[in-house]
Amino acid sequence: MLTRLRSRVVDVAPGAAFIAALLLCLEIAANSEWVNRALLPPPSSWALVVWDLIASGQFIAPLTETLLRLAAGFAIGVAAGTGLGLVMGYWRPFHDFMEPLVELMRPIPKAALVPAMVLFLGIGDSMKITSIALVVFFPMLINTVQGVRGTDPVMIDTARTFGYGSAAILWKIVFPAALPFIFAAMRVALGLGMVLAVLSEMVAGSGGMGFLILDMQRSFRVRQMYAWLVILAVVGLALTALLGAVERRVLHWGLTERPTGVKRTRGKD
Amino acid sequence: MSYLQLANVTKKFRSADNLETVALDQISLTVERGEFVAIVGPSGCGKSTLLQIVAGLIPASGGQVRLEGRVVTAPPPEAVYVFQQYNRSLFPWRRVLDNVAFAIEHQPSVSRAIARERARHFLSLVALDAHAEKFPWELSGGMQQRVAIARALTAEPSILLMDEPFSAVDALTRLNLQVLLLSIWERTKVTIVFVTHDVDEAIYLSDRVSVMTSSPATISEVLSVDVARPRRPIETREERRFLELRHYLLDRLLHTNADPA
Repeated sequence: MLTRLRSRVVDVAPGAAFIAALLLCLEIAANSEWVNRALLPPPSSWALVVWDLIASGQFIAPLTETLLRLAAGFAIGVAAGTGLGLVMGYWRPFHDFMEPLVELMRPIPKAALVPAMVLFLGIGDSMKITSIALVVFFPMLINTVQGVRGTDPVMIDTARTFGYGSAAILWKIVFPAALPFIFAAMRVALGLGMVLAVLSEMVAGSGGMGFLILDMQRSFRVRQMYAWLVILAVVGLALTALLGAVERRVLHWGLTERPTGVKRTRGKD
Repeated sequence: MSYLQLANVTKKFRSADNLETVALDQISLTVERGEFVAIVGPSGCGKSTLLQIVAGLIPASGGQVRLEGRVVTAPPPEAVYVFQQYNRSLFPWRRVLDNVAFAIEHQPSVSRAIARERARHFLSLVALDAHAEKFPWELSGGMQQRVAIARALTAEPSILLMDEPFSAVDALTRLNLQVLLLSIWERTKVTIVFVTHDVDEAIYLSDRVSVMTSSPATISEVLSVDVARPRRPIETREERRFLELRHYLLDRLLHTNADPA
């Protein structure tokens, strides 16, 4: 455990040093007036604000507000996208029926739908959660369909020979077989969900991190604006790490632990 | 009436350029209850396709398969198919015991505890009870195929349909698996239809050998294996009758197989 931690530290060290060097460059650039300090104050001044926000506990309320909406929208989008993807991937006629609609909707940047959703849902939580769910939905759907399609037919025939019906095969074989695709989609969807969480607060909001970032910029509290960006970045990193930990736990049979030489080849004769 | 009857089973495939190929041409075969029948033939002659039709996994284009008099249209509950590709047929997310319990855990009359208990029993039959809590990919190829056999037995089928089950393991493991399979067959009285391209294996295991040819894709003859049981992995293969049959079968397969490989 300790050696694993140590090797992890060694792994991230060069990347972390690079970030530190970049911040140092910014610091020097701002202090020597190479950039306009009013637009880009030195990172050390952001850090002081971040410290203040944390020490005073002021960061908690906006963070919680944004995270709760993100969690709700993400959960709805993942559940709906995965559920529909399983059925679409497994049942061909339903796929052919739904695919044109999906392909029509998919290329629309979901942010462009926010104004329309404000019309129907107002400017409250339901609009924001729906926006997040919508942007999460599509990558979940597309990847799940692909994962289902990629299920090894030998596994499905194995279940059939033991007398399993379609619904049981979908739940016990196809779903776990598609899980690596589903988790890959969740990683993409989490990033998109964060974009919409912040953006929807900017469009119509009275709280949350997106609202604050815009509010700080408008009231020209630039250091505060950057401080919230820093917090947002750290939160994003933490959420990604959390998802990664869940993935490693759920996909315990993944390739990482598998000894080399076990090849999953297709076809025979 | 025979336990398993194939009557004029035909399978046609249509390729991408709309050409029709006859994969199986009017195949008829009967298997008695408790019999061990091998189907031997060159690669690509349609042996696996035939076995999958018998298992109800794919439909025939013509003809009929009857198991205990009933026409097979879907996988029959008394038949279990054992795949060649054990590493694709075992589920990597399930431990060995749960892979074996999979055979029966969906049956309404079987509780989870009973499924696992029966799975453990059949795992011990293939001497793998010590590995119950491992994942399949932690085991060797031969062990994985033993898990697949234990899983098939857990369903307590009256007929096992085995598709080149030992062709992906090394030669010594293969001999051990053959001995194991014969001891299970003698104990359980299960009927076995065993597809292989290995003439030695076919003779060593079976009561009768059906010879399949590629063109036309059909069973050209069925031989009785009049070699005494119990069979022994070394001595049986040195018996005169074994060698005669081996000679005859290899001769037939080499001469009916049009393209010299």
